[in-house]
Amino acid sequence: MTTSDNGERMIDEGSPVVAGVLEPWEVFRREKDGDPMRHGGSVMAPDPVLALHYAREMFGRRQESTGLWVIRRADIHELEDPDLLDPPLDRSFKKPGGYVMRDKLAAARERSGQAKLKARDAAKVRRPATGDPA
Amino acid sequence: MSGPALDPATRPALVEILISMADDEFVIGFSDSEWTGIAPLLEEDVAMSSLAQDEIGHAKAFYELLAGVLDDGRDADAIAYDREPAEYRHCRLLDHPRGDWADTIARRFLYDTADAVRLEAVAACSWSALADLVAKIRREERYHLMHVGAWLDRLANGGGEARRRLEAALERLAPDAATVFAPLQGEAALVEAGLLSAPMDAHEARWRASIGPTLERLRLPMPPAAIDPERGRLDHSAAFDWLHGEFTMVRRLDPVATW
Repeated sequence: MTTSDNGERMIDEGSPVVAGVLEPWEVFRREKDGDPMRHGGSVMAPDPVLALHYAREMFGRRQESTGLWVIRRADIHELEDPDLLDPPLDRSFKKPGGYVMRDKLAAARERSGQAKLKARDAAKVRRPATGDPA
Repeated sequence: MSGPALDPATRPALVEILISMADDEFVIGFSDSEWTGIAPLLEEDVAMSSLAQDEIGHAKAFYELLAGVLDDGRDADAIAYDREPAEYRHCRLLDHPRGDWADTIARRFLYDTADAVRLEAVAACSWSALADLVAKIRREERYHLMHVGAWLDRLANGGGEARRRLEAALERLAPDAATVFAPLQGEAALVEAGLLSAPMDAHEARWRASIGPTLERLRLPMPPAAIDPERGRLDHSAAFDWLHGEFTMVRRLDPVATW
C-alpha cells in the first residue's frame, strides 16, 4: 500500500482525503456469550462509528463474535516503566503456588553436601515457578 | 411453486417486479465491487466489497425465485448473465458509471433508502417464499443503511472538496433517483394479489418522506421527479453496456462450463 510521508494512504480517482484523522482503534471481541472480551486486533478509522463498522467487517461478519468493543488506541494509557513490573525481591510466597523451592533446595543441598536429588524425588518437592492462576 | 406465483393473471407482473429488484441489486453490486482494491482506505475496501457481495447475494436469491416462476429451463446464472444489455430491467439511477467515491456514496444513499421502502412494500406479501427472502434481506440492508448514512454525513459535513464532490454527485444522480419507483407493468395486479402493498407512486412518496429529514439536516436538495418514468427501467446507458461486458466476460468464455 502506498502511503504518504505522514502515513495517509494515497488515494486515486478523487476519493475523499480524510486528512490526518485516520487513527488506530483496538478491537475487543467476545467469542461466545459468557466469555470475557479479548483483544482481537486493530482497525484504522477516523471516528468510533466507522471504527465499529470496520470492526464488524473484520471480526464479526462470519458469526465469530457475539460482542465487539472498539477503543481508541490514543485513549489507552500504558505503564511507562517496565522495571516496576519486575520486583527485585522474592515475593513468591504471595503467589498461590507458594515459595519457589528450587533455589532453597539447591542451597540446602550445598550446605549438607548431599548429592543432587534423583529426578523422581525432585519432582515431589518442586513447586510451580510462576504461580500464574490462569 | 405455489400460491400467487402460479396465478396466470399476476404472473407477468410478478416476473416484472422480481426482475427489477434482482437486476437493481445485481447492477449496484457490480458497480460497487469496482472499488475492491482501490477504496479510500483498506478497512473501507473490505466494507464496500462486502456490501457489494451482499447485493450480488440478494440478486442471486431473487433470480432463483424468478427462475422458478419463469420455469423456462433457465437457472439463476443464465438469467443473470445470458441476457443482452437491453433486456436488463434495473433502474436508470444505476446506469451511471461508478464515478468517484462521492458518486458511489450518493448512489448508495439514494438507492438503499428507496430499496428499503420497496422491500417494506413486499415484506408482508402473500407469497411466503418472497416474504421470507425479503425478511432476511432487510436484516442485511439495515447495516447497509447505517454504513451509507455514516459516509453521507461525513461527506456532507466534511466541507471543502468532500462537500463539493457530494453535491456534484447528487446533481448528476438525483434526477434519476425516483426511477427505483418507475411504474411496473401490471402493478395493479400485484396490489390486487397482495404481493405489493400499494402502487409504486405511493411508495415514492413514502421514500421522499423518509429521506426528507436527513436531506434537510445536511442541507441537501430533495431529488426531483423522474423524467419519463415509464422508461425508467429501459434505454440503458453506454456505461451499462461497458459494465455488462465486464460482468459477463468470464461467463461468455464458456457459458455451459461447470464450475
